[in-house]
Amino acid sequence: MAENQTNDGTVAMTRWQLNGQEVENPTGMTIMEAAKDHGIEIPCFCYHPGLSIAGNCRICMVESNRSPKPVISCSEKIADGLVIETESELAVSSRNSVMEFQLINHPLDCPVCDKSGECTLQDHSYEHGPDRSRFVEDKNIRHTKELGPTISIWGNRCIVCTRCVRFCDEISGTSELCIVERGDRSVVDVFPEIPIDNQLAGNTVDICPVGALISHDFKYEARVWNMDRKDSVCGGCSRGCNIEVETLDGFVKRLMPRENLEVNDWWMCDEGRYGWRHLYADDRLSQATRDGTALEDDSATAALEQLLSESGPVAFLIDPYLTCEEMHLVQGLAASRPGSIVGGWLPDDGDAANFPSGFKISAAKYPNRSGAEHIFGAQVFGDDAKELQKSLLSSDFPTVVAFCGGHLSTGPGESWAKALSSTPTSIIFSVKTGPWLEGASLVLPATAPIEKDGTWINEDGRLQRTRSCWNPGTEPFSVELVRLQTLQNALDIRGRSLSAAGIFRELAAANDSFAGHNHSDLGSPGLLLAERPAGIAMDGGSE
Amino acid sequence: MTFRKILTQHIAEADCHTLNFYQRNGGYSQAKKSLNEHQPDDLIELVKAANLRGRGGAGFPTGVKWSFVPKSSDKPKYLVVNADESEPGTFKDRVIMEKNPHLLLEGILICCKAVNIQTAYIYIRGEFVFATQRLQQAIDEAYEAGILGSDCLGSGLHIDVTVHRGAGAYICGEETGMLTSLEGDRGQPKLKPPFPAIEGVFGCPTVVNNVETLANLPYILEIGAEAYCAIGPEKSPGPKLFCVSGHVENPGTFELPMGIPLRALIDEHAGGVWKGRKLKAVIPGGSSAHVLTAEECDVAMDIESLSAAGTMLGSAGVIVMDDSTCMVDALVNLMRFYHHESCGQCTPCREGTGWLEKIVHRIAHGDGRMEDLDLVLDVCDRMVGKTICALADAAAFPAQSIVTKFQDDFVAAIQNGGSPAWKKRHPSAVGGTASHG
Repeated sequence: MAENQTNDGTVAMTRWQLNGQEVENPTGMTIMEAAKDHGIEIPCFCYHPGLSIAGNCRICMVESNRSPKPVISCSEKIADGLVIETESELAVSSRNSVMEFQLINHPLDCPVCDKSGECTLQDHSYEHGPDRSRFVEDKNIRHTKELGPTISIWGNRCIVCTRCVRFCDEISGTSELCIVERGDRSVVDVFPEIPIDNQLAGNTVDICPVGALISHDFKYEARVWNMDRKDSVCGGCSRGCNIEVETLDGFVKRLMPRENLEVNDWWMCDEGRYGWRHLYADDRLSQATRDGTALEDDSATAALEQLLSESGPVAFLIDPYLTCEEMHLVQGLAASRPGSIVGGWLPDDGDAANFPSGFKISAAKYPNRSGAEHIFGAQVFGDDAKELQKSLLSSDFPTVVAFCGGHLSTGPGESWAKALSSTPTSIIFSVKTGPWLEGASLVLPATAPIEKDGTWINEDGRLQRTRSCWNPGTEPFSVELVRLQTLQNALDIRGRSLSAAGIFRELAAANDSFAGHNHSDLGSPGLLLAERPAGIAMDGGSE
Repeated sequence: MTFRKILTQHIAEADCHTLNFYQRNGGYSQAKKSLNEHQPDDLIELVKAANLRGRGGAGFPTGVKWSFVPKSSDKPKYLVVNADESEPGTFKDRVIMEKNPHLLLEGILICCKAVNIQTAYIYIRGEFVFATQRLQQAIDEAYEAGILGSDCLGSGLHIDVTVHRGAGAYICGEETGMLTSLEGDRGQPKLKPPFPAIEGVFGCPTVVNNVETLANLPYILEIGAEAYCAIGPEKSPGPKLFCVSGHVENPGTFELPMGIPLRALIDEHAGGVWKGRKLKAVIPGGSSAHVLTAEECDVAMDIESLSAAGTMLGSAGVIVMDDSTCMVDALVNLMRFYHHESCGQCTPCREGTGWLEKIVHRIAHGDGRMEDLDLVLDVCDRMVGKTICALADAAAFPAQSIVTKFQDDFVAAIQNGGSPAWKKRHPSAVGGTASHG
């Protein structure tokens, strides 16, 4: 905030009074932000930290010594000598009045509303609303309709806070939404023939403080209080948007963005949001096979141990979906087999997008290229990969261990499939079934990005912690992490299995890029690793 | 000194709206003088000294408003003339625009000189088709004659005037609602601060003045501040257009000095209450003002006196109601208007105006309960002063005063199963049919 910088570089402070206490905050803050710093949460509907101030819901009204009328704390700034009361008779009655007004025409359909349980109107009603209605008239009826391929409006529930309208104006820059009609007929709508269909549209549902905007994907899928939540990172592209994965009875139900001002603000793209469906796609690989014969889980691990313990030098083909921890285990295996080499494959680039708010979608549709380059060197997807492919095609290595993960159905591509099938013993970890598995000696089901536990490094060089959507000990919780360590134990290069955090400690001890860090100091914004390994160009590399 | 009409002196004459007529009667001489001779600051000081109060409704001192506009700004400055005239009971600006459009243009020129403005917009109520035509004719004539355009009246100043028609929303008469509408957005009031003088239309410093306010300027220049202040009361002087409508023999717009007694306005100028009936109630300043009972009508029509009487001069739209009026029906009519016109932005207004209409409507239609009267007053309390603009206040004020001052009408409607008019239309209807009992 430039306006509170003084000439000597310090932050200018404003002294004001909040509920009888003398307090101090950086100049330029709004009453709502500043009060929050002192533990006083002023309720809001239309305010969103990522959007412009609309000041229309009026629930954040507080009493001020500078105005005979109550002022709205989302817009009014603190000032020296300002006296604010959030619990005075005027403030409380203003708040309660707004609550009553919000509720008079709002349907009592919480039992069938998808927002129920995470609804701002419910929460504020519980705290500030009346316990009975004085409204004996007929409620207004407003439209229920599809606004686009993924979103519908339940008009009766709309409180006209305009968050969604402002989102489309300011964040996605697409301006599909508007308010139509006036007064208590006002409701969110789209212009005729122009549906809301932008890459960030799903966020409008998240920021709707009530159940007016409903995602088709989640409609009637779950009661939100029954779901389990894990703080994760989206693996859909190299941005690494922070997300929350919500599951019910062992099924993923919804992905939600998680605030990270360094990466994704409060948002995520629809590609990532609805991307979890690939977990349950028909081409998901669920069965381990040895030379085409189905294997039980335990015997799959035994077969892996047998194949590797008998082998000499091994070729390792990694993918940019592996976590840093998984890569560290691969590196350990490679080091234990003298003569082994490592290369990696990259999926083709997709479409990138830049939005007016600064939100980005990366063309690189994978999460951890940067991590691989920190661990295996700058050429792991470049010259190393070329050499690996050449060696495999000329059958220089008797054994290859390949990782073919990710959410894309294309796999590592034709030339790598050919290289893998030219190797006598090929062990392939794969998320999907596909032509690259043809003729494989051992096929092992792998985990999709949101099922992994560990860390990734995004395209800005930010190391971020992602958590599996499953609980530790339940399959497929980070299968590779478990399986690779079991293998290392069997090969006598490891004494005991560790959690992802334990592996990371080993990585930090072994690799300068990660030195001094551990999982617990990554925090929620993650950590910007000081430098990328020398000589890496973001657009370099090959398959 | 007898009062001489200034704004509407010649409106009975056939060609009063033409440039030729206007100039024949000395028109544009004040604009010419001010554009060529006066300094901007002198003009602002003159208008301050004349104590010209805004004629749109709020009565803010015009010169003070002008002085808020930053002198040094790298942004262009704008004048937006509020010609939306949407307050029920008000039809004074219309007279000026239809009959004396050049007077408005001359006022615009003086204001533009005072605040260093090159572009003025006249935001005119969409329903005013004839006034728009007259205004456009006058503007065309003025451009033709070199009064507007690149060298206004030989001063070297460039001033453009554009007429912009509204699309029929009451809220677009609110100054910031008008500015968003002018910008091409949905007409909704903006948060203040920033005030228009600092950040108005297109994000630039903007003066917003009412038509009648600007029409006073040439006269102030002509006679000087002291003589102007001698007309009417000291704190709100000047000639004023009063619109009288409702149950009078001779409704219309009357130019009179500020401070004329309300009784004289109704009885002498508007011909008295019609059909020999008695006066029941008067809304003195447009429908948003508190109502006066017949007993309260001994009041002078100026800003201070009406304020002291607990109401306001507002737009000076005087609505007269005779003793046959059922105040329940009158309030239904008013509440329907505000419910229909609330922009829907702020919760208390969006929901409150609809709620009020439904309650009053229910009372009028025979399903009222005694507790509804307290409910109406409580809902009003919860609306007043809690919104971005004053529409919620404008809806609540008449509701508060009509329910309080004419409680008997409401009690009768509740006890007798509806208002007299409703019962006449529905002779067999029985009250108390609502499901809530």
